[in-house]
Amino acid sequence: MHDLTMARSIVDTVLEAAKERGAEEVLEIDLVIGALTLLSREQMDFWVRELLRGTIGEGAEVNIEQQGPEVRCKQCGYRGPVEVSDDPIYHLMAFTPTCPECGSTELEIVAGDECTIRNIRARR
Amino acid sequence: MRKEPIVETEEIFDIELEEDLLNRNRELAEGNHKAMHEHGVRALDVLGSIGSGKTTLITEMVKRLRDRMNVAVLAGDLTTMIDAERIEEQGVPVVQIHTGKECHLDANLVHKALAELDLASVDLVIIENVGNLICPGEFPLGADQRLVMVSVTEGPYTALKHPYIFADAEVAVINKVDLAEAMEVSVDGLAEDLRKVKPGIKVVPTNAREGEGVDEVLRALGL
Ligand SMILES: Nc1nc2c(ncn2[C@@H]2O[C@H](COP(=O)(O)OP(=O)(O)O)[C@@H](O)[C@H]2O)c(=O)[nH]1
Ligand SMILES: [Mg+2]
Ligand SMILES: [Zn+2]
Repeated sequence: MHDLTMARSIVDTVLEAAKERGAEEVLEIDLVIGALTLLSREQMDFWVRELLRGTIGEGAEVNIEQQGPEVRCKQCGYRGPVEVSDDPIYHLMAFTPTCPECGSTELEIVAGDECTIRNIRARR
Repeated sequence: MRKEPIVETEEIFDIELEEDLLNRNRELAEGNHKAMHEHGVRALDVLGSIGSGKTTLITEMVKRLRDRMNVAVLAGDLTTMIDAERIEEQGVPVVQIHTGKECHLDANLVHKALAELDLASVDLVIIENVGNLICPGEFPLGADQRLVMVSVTEGPYTALKHPYIFADAEVAVINKVDLAEAMEVSVDGLAEDLRKVKPGIKVVPTNAREGEGVDEVLRALGL
């Protein structure tokens, strides 16, 4: 839904960081998008490329890594991936995670809810 | 000052940014929450589709609260000035948030709107989010409580279609119950779905236009 908005912040942030460091061209952008976000990888890829047109980032390679959900259990201390039920009745993924070790629902999300600009490769 | 020698070589370099843009919003939301907390201000985020009755409900809530506490409203989903005036008529400060074509409010917009209020003389901030049951779920604003409004005119599957938005909601309001029969929508069935999607959620049926159920909404929120 808000893929365009997020793509715009990504592109703004990338271009600002690149220009600050004297880049003349952005060659590659590595992004991480969490599976728990409402962002679609295809749409993000499309919009980022589209918004880079006419900038020093036009034509840059855009790599998007999908990050699965990882949690820390507040009950037993388990730290690692969790299964997320993706019931087809839901248009969107309903995140109802339980700890695979102890079944607790008191979990802290440590990964999977991000939209991160990991790395920018540039040329100066 | 020593002048750097200019080396004319092409250089490829990496910028390891590791910047999480969604986390940036979460951090700003925490900032909003803290700022309001310091002044003893409570905040309520009101979500719901366009036309579900958010402005109507907020107006009715304000009517009942304004003699007991200082209420301010941040209006993120006002398509016309009629809406803003409807709330302002109740004699409380309203800050209009211009979202442009945005599908959600974000913590930064709320941060700017809060700056226009004198938080020291406010007890409760009610935020009307943009009419959308999907996107605002991803952008916490720093509110203490979240109320989600659905109306029977949206059909019987609102809860099951948008489970995500209810994850952080404390109260769900089913509005326009006066139209339930005409819409052939079961209010009880909708309530059941809501509890399935978010166990423990408080469900309150309302006819906001007539002010019916509004006292129960306030009670469910602990107001
Ligand atoms: N029949 C009926 N209409 C309502 C009710 N609550 C609000 N409305 C009407 O629904 C329309 C949209 O309401 P509004 O509060 O502007 O919705 P918002 O877009 O969510 O802020 C208005 O014409 C209201 O008068 C209700 O309980 N029953
Ligand atoms: Mg409204
Ligand atoms: Zn556990």
